[in-house]
Amino acid sequence: MKWRLFALQFATPLLAILFGVLIASIIVLAIGQNPLDVFGVLIRFGLLRSDSLLSILFKATPLIFAGLAVALSFRAALWNIGVEGQFYIGAFTAAYIGFTLKGLPIFIHLPLTILAAAAGGMAWALIPIVLKLRRGAHEVITTIMMNYIAAALILYLIADVFRDPSQVGTPRVRTPEFPPSARVPSMGPLLELFGLTGPDANKVNWLLPFGLVLCVVFAIVLSRTRFGYEVRAVAFSPLAAEAAGIPNARIQFLMFMLSGAVAGLVGLNDVLGFFGYLDIDFPKGLGFLGISVALLAKNNPLGVILAALLFGFLDRGAQGVQFFARTPKEVIVILQALIILAIVVAYELMTRYVRKQRKREAERPPPAATVAAEAGR
Amino acid sequence: MIVLRGITKRFPGVVANDHIDLEVRRGEIHALVGENGAGKSTLMRILYGLYQPDEGTIEVNGRPVVIDSPRTALALGIGMVHQHFMLIPRFTVAENVILGSEPAGAFGRLQRREAEERVRELCQQYGFALDPAAEVSTLSVGEQQRVEIIKVLYRGAGVLILDEPTAVLVPQEVDELFVNLRRLREQGKTIIFISHMLDEVLEISDRITVLRRGRVVGTVPAAGTTKSQLAEMMVGRPVLLELEHPPVMPGDVRLEARDITVAGRGGKPAVHRVSLAVRAGEIYGIAGVEGNGQTEFVEALVGLRPVISGQILIDGQEVTHATARAVRLLGVANIPEDRHRRGLVLPMAVWENVVLGHHARRQFLNGAFVDRQAVESFADKQVEKFDIRLSSIDVPALALSGGNQQKVIVAREFSFSPKVLIAAQPTRGLDIGATEFVERQLLEARANGMAVLLISANLEEVLSLSDRIGVMYSGELVAEFRRGEATPQELGLYMTGTRRQTAGTGVSPS
Amino acid sequence: METLVSLLTLALIASAIRVTMPILLAALGAVYSERGGVINIGLEGIMIMGTLFGAVGDYVFAQRFPGLVESVPDLAPAAGVLVAILAGVLFALIHAVVTVTFRVDQIISGVALNLLAVGAARFLNILFFEVSTQSPGVSGFTPLNIPILKDIPALEPIATSISPMIPAALLLVLISHWVLLRTRFGLRLRAVGEHPLAADTLGINVIRTRYAGVMISGAFAGMAGAYLAIEQAHLYFEGMTQGRGFIALAAMIFGNWWPLGALGASALFGYFDALSLRVVRLPVPSQFINVLPHIVSILVLAGFVRRAQPPAADGIPYSKEEE
Repeated sequence: MKWRLFALQFATPLLAILFGVLIASIIVLAIGQNPLDVFGVLIRFGLLRSDSLLSILFKATPLIFAGLAVALSFRAALWNIGVEGQFYIGAFTAAYIGFTLKGLPIFIHLPLTILAAAAGGMAWALIPIVLKLRRGAHEVITTIMMNYIAAALILYLIADVFRDPSQVGTPRVRTPEFPPSARVPSMGPLLELFGLTGPDANKVNWLLPFGLVLCVVFAIVLSRTRFGYEVRAVAFSPLAAEAAGIPNARIQFLMFMLSGAVAGLVGLNDVLGFFGYLDIDFPKGLGFLGISVALLAKNNPLGVILAALLFGFLDRGAQGVQFFARTPKEVIVILQALIILAIVVAYELMTRYVRKQRKREAERPPPAATVAAEAGR
Repeated sequence: MIVLRGITKRFPGVVANDHIDLEVRRGEIHALVGENGAGKSTLMRILYGLYQPDEGTIEVNGRPVVIDSPRTALALGIGMVHQHFMLIPRFTVAENVILGSEPAGAFGRLQRREAEERVRELCQQYGFALDPAAEVSTLSVGEQQRVEIIKVLYRGAGVLILDEPTAVLVPQEVDELFVNLRRLREQGKTIIFISHMLDEVLEISDRITVLRRGRVVGTVPAAGTTKSQLAEMMVGRPVLLELEHPPVMPGDVRLEARDITVAGRGGKPAVHRVSLAVRAGEIYGIAGVEGNGQTEFVEALVGLRPVISGQILIDGQEVTHATARAVRLLGVANIPEDRHRRGLVLPMAVWENVVLGHHARRQFLNGAFVDRQAVESFADKQVEKFDIRLSSIDVPALALSGGNQQKVIVAREFSFSPKVLIAAQPTRGLDIGATEFVERQLLEARANGMAVLLISANLEEVLSLSDRIGVMYSGELVAEFRRGEATPQELGLYMTGTRRQTAGTGVSPS
Repeated sequence: METLVSLLTLALIASAIRVTMPILLAALGAVYSERGGVINIGLEGIMIMGTLFGAVGDYVFAQRFPGLVESVPDLAPAAGVLVAILAGVLFALIHAVVTVTFRVDQIISGVALNLLAVGAARFLNILFFEVSTQSPGVSGFTPLNIPILKDIPALEPIATSISPMIPAALLLVLISHWVLLRTRFGLRLRAVGEHPLAADTLGINVIRTRYAGVMISGAFAGMAGAYLAIEQAHLYFEGMTQGRGFIALAAMIFGNWWPLGALGASALFGYFDALSLRVVRLPVPSQFINVLPHIVSILVLAGFVRRAQPPAADGIPYSKEEE
C-alpha cells in the first residue's frame, strides 16, 4: 500500500501534465501548426542547451520563493493570493535599504537588505490576516485587493518619491543603484568550475541555494516538529484543534506571516541578483505563478522545487517556441494553466481514491476466535 | 404491497445488506429493528432510491420496479422521513414542503398562496398543528418532524418510511407522534418504522422485522412478542438490558459550576445561572432536549466558550477564564458531542489523533520535534488496551468506523489520569457493542474515583448510568433528582418546560 | 469646499452610474453562482474573456457584414454582447465541471481559471488581431436620451448619451431578484445552496442546478466584460478589468447575496471608481485614486462581513456518497 501510494503521488502530476500537453496540442493544431514541432522545439531548446539550463535555474529561483510562500499559507488553510503584492513591497523595502545605506560591509548590508524584503512582505500580509482573524474578512478578496494597492503604491514610490535623480529626463524610471554590498553575488565563478559560462551563468546567484535550503527547512519543520503537527491540526480541523488547546489564531497568524516573509523575497532574484536597482518595469506576475507552483507541488516544500523548475523550463522553452516554431509563446501560458486545472482535478480524484482504499483496508476483521465463538452459539 | 427480494448492497469493506427479503402490507405499521449498522437505513435508502442495490428486486403493488432516484420512489408513492431532518432552516414550512414539486405558473412563478393553502389543508386532514408561513428555524424538533411528514404526504405518498423518528423526541413528543401515526394508518397509509428502541416498536407496530449484520433474522407480529425475545433476535444472543451499577462512595467535589451564564447567539444567554457540583466517584447526568444550552454549557466548562458571570472550579481551583489547554492540563478529559469536528482531526493518522491535545507533553517531544517513536509506541499500547480494530496506526481517523473513532477518543481521554470526565453524547451513532463499551468505560471511570458529567439526549442512558440527574431546559437547570427518583415521563415534563422545580429544591450532592 | 461640492456633481453621478454597470453585472452573476452554493472567484477571468470576446464579436461582425451594420449600426455591438455572453458561459462551464462534477476546491478552481484567462486572452488576441494586448477600436450602441429631461440643460449629464445596456442591466436586477425569490428555479437554486442533500432527497438534481447557477454567472460576467469593452473603452486592452470581478464579489457579499443588495453595493463601488476616472481633481496622488474601489472593498469586507448571511452550503462541494 505504502509503495503504491508513493508511486501514485508521482504518477498523478505526470498524468495531469500529459493531459495539459494533449489539450495544448489540440490548440496548436487548431491554429495550423504541428504540435510535434512545437513540443519538439520546447524540449530541444529548453532542455538540451547549456545556456537554457542556466536560464531555467535563474527563472526558477523566484518561483521557488513564490511557490513556497503560497504553499506555506495553503498548508495553514489560508488563501494567500497576495504574494504578488507582498513581493512588490518586499522588493521595494529591499531596494530602499539597498540604496540608502552606504559604506557597510556586505556581510551586514546584504542580510539587512534581505531582512528588509522579508519585513516588507510581512507588513503587506499583516492587514489581510488581521482583518481575517479579527473581523472575518475573507483573505482571498482582501489579498487580491492588496495586490492592486501594492502596484499603485510601488508606482508612486518609484516614479514620484525615490526616482533616481540622475535618470530624470530619460525614459528610465527606477531607483538609484545599490552599492555592491547590497547585491547577491553571482554563482558564475562557481559554475565556471563545471564548465558552465556565459551571461546566463552569471545571472544565477546565491539566492538559488538559499531558496533550496529554505524549502528543506520548511519541509522538516512542517513534517517533523510539534509546530508542524499543530499546523496540520489547525488546517484540517480548526474546531478539533481548538478543543485540543491549540491556539488556532496564533498558528494561522504565524503561518501567514511566514508566507508573507518568504513572499517578500520573491523579487530579490531580479533586484539584488541581477539589476541592482528597482525599475518600474520589474518582472511582475511571479506571485500568481507561485500559486500554480504550489498547486502543482501539492503544497509540499520539496515539491515546490520541482514545480518551480518545471515552470522555469516552460518559460524558457516558450522563448524557443516563439522564435523557432513561430507559435505565440502564450500557448505555453495556456499550457501552464491547463496543467494546473488538470492537476487539481487529478489530485482531488487521487485523494478520493486513496481515501476509499484506506477505508477498505483500515479496519482489520475481528479476530477469528470471536467469529468462531459467535458461530457456535 | 411492497416486496423486496434478495436485496444485496456492498460498501467498501462491508456487506450492508445481504440477500434481504421483506414484505410490507398495505395499511400496516411495519417496524424494522436492528442494531446500528445492521443495515436498516441502507435498506430503506435503497427502497427510497438513494442507493442502488447490487442484487435483488423490488416489487410495488405486484409490479417489479427499478427505483433509481427519490423522484421515482415518490412517483411510486414511497416517501421517507429522514432521521436527520432534511429541512432548510431559512425556508418557511410551506417552501420546505413544496420544494421539488412546486405549484408554478407562467415563467415558473411560484404559487405561494396556493401552496400554503394546500399545506394548511393537509395539516387539518391529519390533525397536525403547524403554521405554513413560519420559518423552519423557529420550530421545535417535534414540529420539524411534522413538517417532514407533511412533506411526504404532500407528494401523495401511500407508504411512509420513518428512520429512527423517536431518537430526537422527548417522551411527550413520542406519544404525540404515535397518535399521528395511528391516525395516518386509519386513513389507509402504510408506515415503515425504523428503530432500535424495543419498547416503542412493540407499542406502535403491527409486525416487526429484525435485521442483524445485514440479514433478516425474522418477521414477527408485535402482539405476543416480548422485549427480550426481540433483543435476542437483534443481537444474536441473550443480552443484559441493564448494566450493573454498583454503589460507589462519592468523594470530594471535583467539578463545580457556580451560577454560570454563557453567551449564546444574538446576545441571548445560552446558559443562564446554572449551578452544579460533581463529586469523585459520581456520574452526574444531564438530560434535556438538544439545543437547550447543553453544548454551550460543556464548552464553557472545558474553556472553549467565554463565561459571562459565575465561576467554574476544578478541584477547588478557579478556572472560569482558563484556556482549553489549561483546563485539560488540570485533568479534565472531554469526550466531545461532535466527535467528527471537535474530537478528531479526521485526515490525520490514528497515532497522531491519539495524542491530540496531549501532544505537547514532554514524553512525546524531543526538543521542538515530535518524538515519533514515543508517540507510536504509546499509540500501539492504547490500540491494544482499548481494542481499537485497525490495520495500522498510520491510517487516517476518517477511515475508521464510528465505533472505532469513538474508541480512539476514549483511549486518549482516559490515558492521562484525568480527575474529571465530561462526556457529551458519548454513544450517539454507535452500535450496541460500541455503546456497551463506552458505557462500561464510564462506569469504570466512576469506580476509579473520577467525577463524570454525562450529557446525553438518550434518556434511557442517562437514567441507567447516573447517580444524580439534572434537567436542562432553555439554558437553565430546571430540576435535579437522585438516582431512581424520577420516571422518564416525569423527566419529559421538565425537558419540555411543562414543569420546573422552584429554585433551591434541587438535591445537594450528598 | 470646492472639492466637496465637486464630489457630488451630476457629471460625477452620471459617470458613477456608467462605471457601476460592469461591477453590478458581475455581482449579479456572483449572486446566482453563490446562491447555488458555488463560490466563483473565477469571475474576474470570465470577465476578461467577456471583454475580449465582446470586442472580437463586435469587430468581426462589423467586418463581415458591413452592409447590415451600415443600415442597423447597433447590430455589431449586439453581436459583441452575445459572443461575450457565450464565451462567459463556456468559460464558466469549466469552473462548473471542475468544482461541481470533480468537486475540486472552488477557490483553487477559480484561481486557476483566472490564470487561464490571462494566457488565453493574450493568445486569442494574437490570433484575432496579431498583437497580444489590444484590439482595434469597436463601435458601441447608439446612446439613448431621456425625452423631456434631455432638454433641461442642468440635467444634461445624466439624461443624455445613456448606454442602452444601463436600463437593461437595471431591469436584470429586478428580474433576478424576482427569479430568486419568487420562481421555482430560484427556490430550487437557493435550496441547493442551503442544503443540497435535502434538495437531493426531494428529487432536485443538485448537479444540474448548480451548473445552471455557475453558467448564469458566466453569462452575467461575460456581459459585464462586454460592457467594459464595447460601451466604456470602445476597444479591448489587456488588464482592462482591473480586478472588477473581485470587487463584484465584495459587492455581492456587501449586498448580502441578493440582487437588490448587490445593486446598492455596486453603486458604492461605482462611485469610487468614477472618482478614480478623475472627473474631479482631488489632492491625492493619482495612483491612489485608481485603487480607491479596492481600498473601499477591503473596508467593506472588514466592516460588514460579520453581519452577512451567506448560503449555508456556499463553497461546499456536494456528493451523494460521502457524508
